[in-house]
Amino acid sequence: MNTKLRVSEISKIYPGCVANDEISLEFGSGKIYALLGENGAGKSTLVKILSGVVRPDKGEVFLNDKSIKLNSPLDAKKNNIGMVFQHFNLFETLSVFENLSIDSDKKNEELRLSVSNILKKYNFKIDLDIPVLNLSAGQKQKVEIIRCLIRSPKVLIMDEPTSVLTEQETEDLFVSLRKFSDEGILIIYITHKLKEVLSLCDEVAVMRKGKVVSVSKTKEEKIETLANKMVGENLNTIKKKINNFKYSEEILKISNLNFKSEDPYETDLINLNFSIKKGECLGIAGISGNGQSELFQILSGEIITEYTSIKFRDKEISKLNPRERREYLMAFSPEDRISQAAVPELKIYENVALNNFKSSNFFEKGLVNEKKIKEHSKKILSNFSVNTDNVEMKSQFLSGGNLQKLIIGRELITSPELLVCFNPTWGLDVGAINYIHETLININEQGKSSILISTDNDELLRLSDRICVIYKGKLSKIMDVNEVTPEKLGILMGGGSID
Amino acid sequence: MIKIEKRNDVSPSIYFLTPILAIFLTLFGGGIIFYVLGFNPIEALKFFFITPISDLYGFSELLIKATPLCLIAIGLSFCFKSNNWNIGAEGQLIFGGIVGGGVALLFYGHDGFYVLPIIILSGAIGGMIFAMIPAILKTYFNTNEILVSLMLVYVAKLLLDYLVVGPWSNPEGFNFPETRQFSESARMPILFDGLRIHAGIFITLITVFLSWLILYKTYLGFQIKVSGLSLKTAKYAGYKGKTMIIIVFMISGACAGLAGVGEITGPIGQLHRNISPDYGFTAIIVAFLGRLNPVGIIFASLIVALTYLGAETAQIFLQVPKYTGQVFQGMILFFLLGSDYLLFFKIKFLGLKKNEL
Repeated sequence: MNTKLRVSEISKIYPGCVANDEISLEFGSGKIYALLGENGAGKSTLVKILSGVVRPDKGEVFLNDKSIKLNSPLDAKKNNIGMVFQHFNLFETLSVFENLSIDSDKKNEELRLSVSNILKKYNFKIDLDIPVLNLSAGQKQKVEIIRCLIRSPKVLIMDEPTSVLTEQETEDLFVSLRKFSDEGILIIYITHKLKEVLSLCDEVAVMRKGKVVSVSKTKEEKIETLANKMVGENLNTIKKKINNFKYSEEILKISNLNFKSEDPYETDLINLNFSIKKGECLGIAGISGNGQSELFQILSGEIITEYTSIKFRDKEISKLNPRERREYLMAFSPEDRISQAAVPELKIYENVALNNFKSSNFFEKGLVNEKKIKEHSKKILSNFSVNTDNVEMKSQFLSGGNLQKLIIGRELITSPELLVCFNPTWGLDVGAINYIHETLININEQGKSSILISTDNDELLRLSDRICVIYKGKLSKIMDVNEVTPEKLGILMGGGSID
Repeated sequence: MIKIEKRNDVSPSIYFLTPILAIFLTLFGGGIIFYVLGFNPIEALKFFFITPISDLYGFSELLIKATPLCLIAIGLSFCFKSNNWNIGAEGQLIFGGIVGGGVALLFYGHDGFYVLPIIILSGAIGGMIFAMIPAILKTYFNTNEILVSLMLVYVAKLLLDYLVVGPWSNPEGFNFPETRQFSESARMPILFDGLRIHAGIFITLITVFLSWLILYKTYLGFQIKVSGLSLKTAKYAGYKGKTMIIIVFMISGACAGLAGVGEITGPIGQLHRNISPDYGFTAIIVAFLGRLNPVGIIFASLIVALTYLGAETAQIFLQVPKYTGQVFQGMILFFLLGSDYLLFFKIKFLGLKKNEL
């Protein structure tokens, strides 16, 4: 059984972002293909197109040289394309067998027979009659795989399958995937983990900013070369001037930061220790989902963890909530500007009032001081060149760039000692990015410190004084920006180590 | 292919006009039901919606029904605005009634201006305490407030049942399931001779004004608004989520308790098994029909109160069961949710075109 899958000139444009730009790729059975790229590179959009979840604006998909229409997930199933998503689609309270029978048109006895054959063949050990909630993440994934196998797929797509697995479960998964491949199933493996690509896959296609930048045999690649392709070599040469600022005073000191989450999709943080000095920008690099969001929330006080010590100018602030931390002149700009940093349905001045601390006098004796808030908002709009002066406008009518300027402005107008920001330029156009970058460089020059958590390496190299990488909840050693190269970052981001 | 898309921009005027559309659709739907039942729809609707308020007495009855509905709905708007789903206002009303009634019985035979305020206050506190149960369970044990508050309704009902049959039943009452009639000092003053409308309406109006003040002019109101729109933002801004949950439930419970005590010291004058014709549940409809806005809720409570009166008139003149009132309440909610759906989402018919963007 030979299967050939070809995508031809696939494009998909979302407002403000080209997710897939004229993508053409060819796959043949008997091999395992890796689709490698950073978050936002367009991998997920491409596999969603292949599984019928998203329809492309342009382009065609060919299966065995026949053009196929994938208008819905059902069409993908009909064409024997199976997909295992990163997040499982299982009913926790139903048994394994009930979950499998939901979308199967086979009779129960027939289905049970074919499932038990699959279990035997691949040596899966799963009790079919216990509820799914009693299974481990690895077993749940097997249930999803079995669900695909029942339909004897020609193509099996795995979307970041190891993000919730333990090392051992990952090993098991790789053994099974190689078996499937030997039987002629075409496997497309989506990941941003370089090591996995090298150990599992035969060929690798690297995507960056919606385009395929390289297709090659994994034998010819090394971690460094793949990292380079994934991150991009054409670095912006404009860098922050190295200032001769004596880093004497320590502003913030974090020790023994540990965080254990009950949510399997969150990342645990393991023993982070670092400090930030006056006037310094500490960059924290990493592929998203390695603990950045958790780290941000702990720094801002949205998550309070036990035993962690966070000292701001020698005062312990680890138990304070975000509002209380603002009293110490800390400021926070979260990643999600639309549903967290601001509320689209609120007016601009109401969003400004979210950053409230005692001396702002926004709320006096429990009453809203609208006049004060509006004056303050007007100041932000003009100082940070937001393209409106109407504070009564709802924030949803601001463009992404202007909204981000408003948020950064709101956080900075109080001249905080420390700004913690998370992907501040994500999804913005070049003009807005430059503006935000200049602003961030400016605050360092004024002797204020910043922590920049970002998945954009160009940005990190441009703005940071020191850089470290977060991988699976652990921090690498902290390096001076001069000794950091994109290659080094790429290796650390993929879980490798450098000397 | 049918595709449902979110509308981004909904103008505020249409947002407040759709409830009126829903009311007209309800009238239309009601007309059809009456027609199917064999009545002249126009005549029947007239009996339902015009006859009850065609005289002064009818109008006072309307206000009597609207008073508790408005009061409870105002309280609920605090909860609903901040994403807390208090479904148990009926239980909080009954428990407020029990506590207020208990105090009224304690003061049986006492005279004095202080009696009524103490009763009213204790009723409000009763409702407040009862509402704190789901709030505390939610904040400290992660229970679902919908389930807990709803189930507590039946706890309150059964407790009332037990009290009026057992320990609190009227010693001269021939074992009827009711307490003594409260003394005159424990009753809401009547505003006009011959009409039943009582001073409770002022409590409601004051509450409406205070709510408007709190919701739109205070820091607490701002926090409630932000948490309702985005819990993530509220957390980021550093609002104390748990305290706020408890506060909105306390406000909501106090309002329901006030409504309960207003009923027993007003038109009823004693405790018995049915001190509320499901005002606590109907107020949920009132709150949403009024768009969780204090002024909107005043109008909504009048309209929904009318369905109570209309049902009684229709029972007398048309011999239809009084439960038609609930049918109308149900239809109002149905049409409101339906028109809201179309307000916030648009339906696109894509036909069978192959390469639709």
